[in-house]
Amino acid sequence: MEVLDLARLQFAMTGSVHFLFVVLTLGMAPMVAVMQTKHLVTGKPVYEGMTRFWGQIYVINYALGIMTGLVMEFQFGMNWSGLSHFAGDVFGGPLAIETLVAFFLESTFLGLWIFGWHKLPPRLHLACIWMVAFTAYLSAFWIMVANSYLQNPVGSELRDGRLVLTDFPALLTNPTFVAALPHVIGAGVLTGGCVVAGASAYRLFRRPADEELFKRSLRTGLTWAGVGALLSIGSGYAQIPLVMGVQPGKFDGEGNLAATVGFGFMILLAEMLALLILVMVIVVARVHRLRWTHPLIMLMAPVPFLIAILGWLAREIGRQPWAVYGKLTTADAITPGLSSGTIIASLVAFPGLLLLLAAVDYLLILKAIRREPGEVGLGRPPDTGDEVAAGPLPPHRAHAGNL
Amino acid sequence: MDIIWFCALAFLLVGYFALEGFDLGLGMLLPILGRTQEERDRIVAGMAPFVLANEVWLVAAVGVLFGAFPQLEGKALSGLYPLIVSLLVTWILRDAGLWFRRRLDGRRWRGFWDTVIAVASLGLSFTWGLAIAGMARGFPDDLADPRGLLLGALVAALFALHGWTFASWRMPGQMTGSRRTGLALMATGALAALPIAVPLAFMAPSIVGLAAPDETLNVLGLMVVPFTPLMIGAQVWVWRTFRPERAPHPSFF
Repeated sequence: MEVLDLARLQFAMTGSVHFLFVVLTLGMAPMVAVMQTKHLVTGKPVYEGMTRFWGQIYVINYALGIMTGLVMEFQFGMNWSGLSHFAGDVFGGPLAIETLVAFFLESTFLGLWIFGWHKLPPRLHLACIWMVAFTAYLSAFWIMVANSYLQNPVGSELRDGRLVLTDFPALLTNPTFVAALPHVIGAGVLTGGCVVAGASAYRLFRRPADEELFKRSLRTGLTWAGVGALLSIGSGYAQIPLVMGVQPGKFDGEGNLAATVGFGFMILLAEMLALLILVMVIVVARVHRLRWTHPLIMLMAPVPFLIAILGWLAREIGRQPWAVYGKLTTADAITPGLSSGTIIASLVAFPGLLLLLAAVDYLLILKAIRREPGEVGLGRPPDTGDEVAAGPLPPHRAHAGNL
Repeated sequence: MDIIWFCALAFLLVGYFALEGFDLGLGMLLPILGRTQEERDRIVAGMAPFVLANEVWLVAAVGVLFGAFPQLEGKALSGLYPLIVSLLVTWILRDAGLWFRRRLDGRRWRGFWDTVIAVASLGLSFTWGLAIAGMARGFPDDLADPRGLLLGALVAALFALHGWTFASWRMPGQMTGSRRTGLALMATGALAALPIAVPLAFMAPSIVGLAAPDETLNVLGLMVVPFTPLMIGAQVWVWRTFRPERAPHPSFF
């Protein structure tokens, strides 16, 4: 393979793996925040159980979101310095705001939330998870501004062979941005809803006895999935004429066969999933007793991930051969002098290592779903059983004291 | 405007060294200070609440590099390619160790990830020395020259000292057998930041020359400044919440 193909493969794979974790984060962060709010308002223990159980799954998922996100951020400069050189003055702006403001706050508040249980006053602790959810959406906002600029480079002009920013508000009203943001948010809500519903259905199917926590979670998950399906499909269709207006022939099947096929499958799968969700939403009040529906709901859980990746492949392959649509080809965006040996070596690390860690992470999520809510580590009160005995260690540490 | 953004970049990088330095230092000291699993759990519990708030300083610094100095970003990250791969791999493995170590019971699982944390923390600190040397020498082809290796060893040693001081401040008299004040922690933080602060001061003129045009920098300022008090407030809140305690309870990490 050519250097260009290898670099594109690397970007596509790390980007896809990254988005798998992002899309679940977008759905689960506000869901967990709502659960914790309900606990604070009603004082019911079941909401505390839900917050900790789903919060733990959200946080395990988040770990890989960070790790893959780091690679995404650095990869631009490593493999695509032609893009930084040509369009960095415009494209770099939204990415800088995303990392400097949104992710900086998200990571800081997430640390406060994870380790602040039983330390922070309940109201402030709740404020942390709302800040995490808000900044996760702020991140999505700026990343989509940046991506939409590459799809349709508005608000800038070519000066001395490089793009310079002339009209910043135009980036925020970009037709490829305005419908894409609700589309991504809808996909997140859909994914979060399907995962929570699927995992709850698994728990209820395995032990149909009265489990208040998973009965409620199943209803919550299906409701969120329904809202997410409507939002993502609605904004998806609304997006088509906007995209066709600036990228005619994106899905006409001749130039971009892969994009067209991916686009078609995405719509097919999304509509089938939405139909199933809507049926479940109709019977949502007693779905926990309809045991035969539970395997179906379990099967729904992985589908939104597949749909989301197909959607991104359609959006990104569909604009080829352009890195910045109509201005810079992908072949010109690559780092000059990059050798295929360098890329092949780094492919072992990304996506090789990332895929391995992602697999481990998903196994840990499955394990967390199978564990009893009483065994959740997140937010465990300090005075209850932990494998490490509480209290100070014996004062025998002199051997390590002379560093 | 370009000078202000250079100061922001330098502040974030220096902050990263002074803060994440103790996480990495404590990570590499994990098998030395923590001879038993219980002791290692305590050490990780001591640093855990700070890691997320510390490592994000580098994410933000690279963001500023991309937004305000895109010409330098492409040059630096592609010019140091193998070192950036090493930086990312060791960073990711250190994070994986922290996030994964308590997700399964079983001493072998946790022991494995503790080893990963130690090796990756050492590797990441060492990579920083090589990367700074590579940048100072203008991105040469041979990135592993003796001066880089020496700087790598220096960074690792300073981080270890800083990590040791942090443990003595956060868990007084416990893991290290010593007690250190907040002032001592600030002093080792300043020491840990020297390997990045000094080269940045020398490279300042050439970095400022690579800044994006004022249109871009103004927009960035407009978007970032309103959030700055919140960002500083959140960081301060972390330090106010997680005060020194004799035996921090292991939770999550």
